[in-house]
Amino acid sequence: MKKSLGIVLSAVMAVGLLAGCQSGGSDKLVIAARGGSHVTAMEAVKGAFEQEHNVTVEIVGLEAADLKQKVSLDAKNKKGAYDLIMADDPWMPEFSEAGLFANLSELDVEADADFEESSLALGKHPYDTGELYALPFAGNVQLFFYNKELFDKHGYNVPGSWEEVLNMAEEAHAADGVAGYVIRGQQGNPIVSDFLPIFWAYGGQVFDENWKAQVNSEAGRDALNTYIRLLAAGENYETTDIVSSLAEGRGAMALGWPSWFISGETAQADYAPIPSKATTSGESMSTGMIGNWMMGVAANSQNPELAAQFLTFITSAESQKTMVEHGGVPTRKSVYLDSELAAKYKHFPVQLEALQNSQARPRTPKWSLAEEALGAELSAAIAGTKSVEDALAAANQAMDQVMQ
Amino acid sequence: MASKRRFQAAMLAPVIVLLIGLTVFPFIYTMANSFTDYYYLAAESKQFVGLSNYMKVLNDDLFQRAVWNTVKFMLLAVSIETALGLGIALLVESMKRGLRLLRVTLLLPSLLPPVTVALVWQMMLSNHNGIINHLLSIFGMGPFNFLMDIRLAFHAILLIDIWQWTPFAFLLLYAALQAIPRSQYEAARVDGAGGWKVFAHITLPHLWPGLLLVVLLRTIDTFRLFDKVNILTGGGPANSTTTVTQYIYRHGVYNLQFGYSAAASIIMVLLVLAFSIAYILRSIRGSQ
Repeated sequence: MKKSLGIVLSAVMAVGLLAGCQSGGSDKLVIAARGGSHVTAMEAVKGAFEQEHNVTVEIVGLEAADLKQKVSLDAKNKKGAYDLIMADDPWMPEFSEAGLFANLSELDVEADADFEESSLALGKHPYDTGELYALPFAGNVQLFFYNKELFDKHGYNVPGSWEEVLNMAEEAHAADGVAGYVIRGQQGNPIVSDFLPIFWAYGGQVFDENWKAQVNSEAGRDALNTYIRLLAAGENYETTDIVSSLAEGRGAMALGWPSWFISGETAQADYAPIPSKATTSGESMSTGMIGNWMMGVAANSQNPELAAQFLTFITSAESQKTMVEHGGVPTRKSVYLDSELAAKYKHFPVQLEALQNSQARPRTPKWSLAEEALGAELSAAIAGTKSVEDALAAANQAMDQVMQ
Repeated sequence: MASKRRFQAAMLAPVIVLLIGLTVFPFIYTMANSFTDYYYLAAESKQFVGLSNYMKVLNDDLFQRAVWNTVKFMLLAVSIETALGLGIALLVESMKRGLRLLRVTLLLPSLLPPVTVALVWQMMLSNHNGIINHLLSIFGMGPFNFLMDIRLAFHAILLIDIWQWTPFAFLLLYAALQAIPRSQYEAARVDGAGGWKVFAHITLPHLWPGLLLVVLLRTIDTFRLFDKVNILTGGGPANSTTTVTQYIYRHGVYNLQFGYSAAASIIMVLLVLAFSIAYILRSIRGSQ
């Protein structure tokens, strides 16, 4: 009797454990999300969907690297733990190629024209032209930040070229002893994200059409020389120090993501789109690095239809308007152009303009490795352990090896 | 006799199952993967590639740099932590008052999770509002860009590790000091032995197994240096702080290239073995 009872109890526990390991049945949706303000924003609006569909929406907030690892490992399971997945846009080629996302057109999710085109293109595979696998959830794009008091003191206008940025940085540094320009030169993703907008302004492209690295080029050398001169007139800080230095007037200019400086209606520094030209007389380029967070339905979701409905709901204009109040970043033009919101959130017009002139990082599944190779050499160049020429030649070679 | 053997087997079984499940099987699986091109998200199944991964890893400049950084870090961290731990243990043992409070205070850093330690030090080393630069400014020094300056970043990480793990060395050595028979010290004193002679002929021989244990444990642990580097420097500037575990993490955990990172992991195991073989052999001889 005791033995039978033990077996029954063990079986019940095992079933319970297995059930707990899988995503919910038809009454539950599980979202693997980037933690922080994205989760807060979704939590603020999900109630309406839960009520309408009689379903519980569980949002699992994870740190970026953790999120990538967890959703990748879950991809091989027949029944996935997650119904919806958030992905940083550079991950899209890798995830789409590996089949992590369900094809949204097969789930009747529409890519309506209200989404900003540059954001929507990130969710398609191949980029911009292929099938739709994810919708843009958060429309991040890098901006140019500056300390207005320092600008007013020196009579500066917002620069339109990197030549002007450099001149202003050197002048401010010499006159006031402040950091004329603050770079974010930590090895890896930070330095690459900080350098590429300058590289693009000089007309550079990371790869050619055959995926051969092109950083060891005239544009690369000019951009890196400018970057090193900017550092000489300033400092190399990590995020917190970049924000505080500009906010306190100890730094004049820097690039950054809006969420670092702007919280709700207040901003710790003034902002503008990233200068699009190398020189004042140069050609204008798309320089604002786009960094959207995308959301798609997991290919192994047990509730793909319901997940698709939630995706439509959470990326709708109504939801985005509400989420803005809770730290959400819109991806729809109508939300950016909403007069009430634009009056409250002064950065909306600038951010929309930056999105419309943005540039995506190379759309290859191997970008993460290529970025690492480039980041190490850029770091060597600014540290002075390699010359600009040697660093770019080494970066080119390492990136070509990655792409083989 | 047979029932005794059955009892022994039954008692050992859980440990053996755990050892096989958590150590032997993962090791064999990792070893097998190291000879394949296993990429977790690949549509095709993994293919046997022979020693190709090993050749690529060993020829990778970044891996060579990571090994050099790791070994340099290990030698410096282990020797400084052990020496400081020994010094503090001797000091604390000689103290008459405030012993308990000091012991607890000393142990606090090693109780903190590595990520917390890294984030706390990131704030303390900050250029702008960091307390270290603030204190240095009182003496007219700085500010220093501890984590971005190629001359300082490695030493900053080393300093944090020493701060965190010296208490661990202290704890083990202090425990070993407590176990030394007092009668030997008294006899030495009666014979007129000086402080150095007492240390060299009584304290040190008794401490030797403890010292070796500290060196072994810290060697293995410093070889796994990851959190501090990943959070504070990302391996930079110019790869000056990149480590073997960070290399494995980037390829295996972040980019899911399990075959390649398995080869790097096996090489790392061999390196750890090379540095700890003396202690292992000594332990085997001792048990025999």
